[in-house]
Amino acid sequence: MSSHREAPEISRDPVADSTDLYAFVSPDQPDTVTLIANYIPLQEPAGGPNFYAFGDDDEVRYDIHVDNDGDGQPDVTYRFRFHSQLLDPETFLYNTGPITALDSPNWNNRQFYSVWKIVDQGPGKLLGSNLPCPPCNIGPLSTPHYASLADMAVHSLDGGIKVFAGQRAEGFYVDLGAIFDLGDLRPFENLHAQYGMHVFTKPAPGVNATNRLNVHSIAIQVPITDLVQPGASGESDPKSVIGVWTTASRQAASVLEANGNTVTSGPWRQVSRLGNPLINEVIIALGDKDRWNHLEPVGDKQFAHYYAHPELAALLPALYPGVFPNLEALVKSGKTRADLEAILLTGIPSGLIPGFQNNTGSVLSDMLRLNTAIPPSSSPNILGLLGGDLAGFPNGRRVFDDIVTVELRAVAGVTYALVDPSFKPDAAAGEVTDGLTPSSVKAPFLTSFPYLGVPYSGFYNPS
Amino acid sequence: MSVNNGTDRPMEDVTEGGQHAEPSRRSVLHGAAGLAGAGLAATVMAGTLAAPASASAAPRTHPGRAARVPHSDEPVIVHVRDVRSGEMDVFAGESQVSLRDPGLAARLTQAVR
Repeated sequence: MSSHREAPEISRDPVADSTDLYAFVSPDQPDTVTLIANYIPLQEPAGGPNFYAFGDDDEVRYDIHVDNDGDGQPDVTYRFRFHSQLLDPETFLYNTGPITALDSPNWNNRQFYSVWKIVDQGPGKLLGSNLPCPPCNIGPLSTPHYASLADMAVHSLDGGIKVFAGQRAEGFYVDLGAIFDLGDLRPFENLHAQYGMHVFTKPAPGVNATNRLNVHSIAIQVPITDLVQPGASGESDPKSVIGVWTTASRQAASVLEANGNTVTSGPWRQVSRLGNPLINEVIIALGDKDRWNHLEPVGDKQFAHYYAHPELAALLPALYPGVFPNLEALVKSGKTRADLEAILLTGIPSGLIPGFQNNTGSVLSDMLRLNTAIPPSSSPNILGLLGGDLAGFPNGRRVFDDIVTVELRAVAGVTYALVDPSFKPDAAAGEVTDGLTPSSVKAPFLTSFPYLGVPYSGFYNPS
Repeated sequence: MSVNNGTDRPMEDVTEGGQHAEPSRRSVLHGAAGLAGAGLAATVMAGTLAAPASASAAPRTHPGRAARVPHSDEPVIVHVRDVRSGEMDVFAGESQVSLRDPGLAARLTQAVR
């Protein structure tokens, strides 16, 4: 998965577990950028009686960071802190009647949040407080007209900013069951070595393992000028490029008292991090995953060897014998994957792709880089840059981008020719996929903020 | 007693997390919440380090949540990392101070035996 339960420690801490990060120039508001950080993975919609909620402000602190000068450190941070309110502790019910408004007295266990903007790690500016989250999508009796109810939780703040925090349909599609069954890709599984077991005799369509599951999204739409350095002008201007990542933090010390209360204290420690998708998932090795989650992007030079020699690149020729001969030779040569380092750690410099750059300089840092001067595509390609769409991943990431296929193909070698024109990618490298598309997501993506679909209700899912 | 200011930053600050020397969250939690190894943790009221908090003096908390109380009543969590040398971390609010006080460490150890 993009970053769902991707590391040992955070897999045991769902409310602090970042799952996906999106950053894109808003298609319907192209003078703004939308940033979305998802948390709390793999939510079964039927989550009662304690439906999902963010960690409260004495538990978890959520940040979305933006670096606009290429040093791998935050220049602008949007901080979200939540607090819950229990109207009636004498009932076991989440709601005691239909919830038709965000101030409905029938809604017993609700959550609110505050959002700050922090510039250059200085004092924070409070942008909004006591902003209500929507309830979770329960069913036709408890949350009738859910889409319009959730719309009420899109808050417009001063300065042309919109925010939303609450449950959404999982938009990330991936054939998790196959991929983590020793690298099976169902559309090509007849070519898998299968360890001599001959389980698969023909190709099969992909299966979306996250279908009909929900997540919790923190979304903010802000003017581009709030994020970039002053004077940013045009696609070729390095000032137009930002690097984005999200973190969740908990306080350093915690004591579980005999009565079940928890006392926390001390400075905040980062426990989760997400920039580019799938990195801590399949690039960073198990022994370093927890440490990676605790660090800032500025320290990522120590992990560069994972990007330069990804384990997955060696696995593909081994698991699919004879399918990736050129990749196999490349791996055996020991050459550094400068293409992956550029895409994921520095951004793509000018000159490699006509009319495009999202380079942030020489500091190796895993950030989702977005050239904010590139306008939204009128006909998006889910393969982003690989599909000739400069507005898609890895130029930021849109909610519908097929980042699994993009990264599979990149690791398989299709992007290596960018840095070594003598390299000929294998034919299979341009075809490899887990076989899924946005149509694998049953809840349609929205055309406006917050773009991720209406969450699945517990009443109808599973059905 | 030597005192070292830790990573004490106000809530609005942003980068307290994640440097190489930072202990992992799990080790912090285990170290602070349990009595792992030579470590000793105590939750006490500010100014009453010598005795465990009595029920009446315990910080006010809500079920499943940490205390949110005025500064003077803030819970203080002490993590004695090494009883013999007296190295300890004191957590309060969003602050952390590192101390070396063998006498205090000994008294805390005595209090829980």
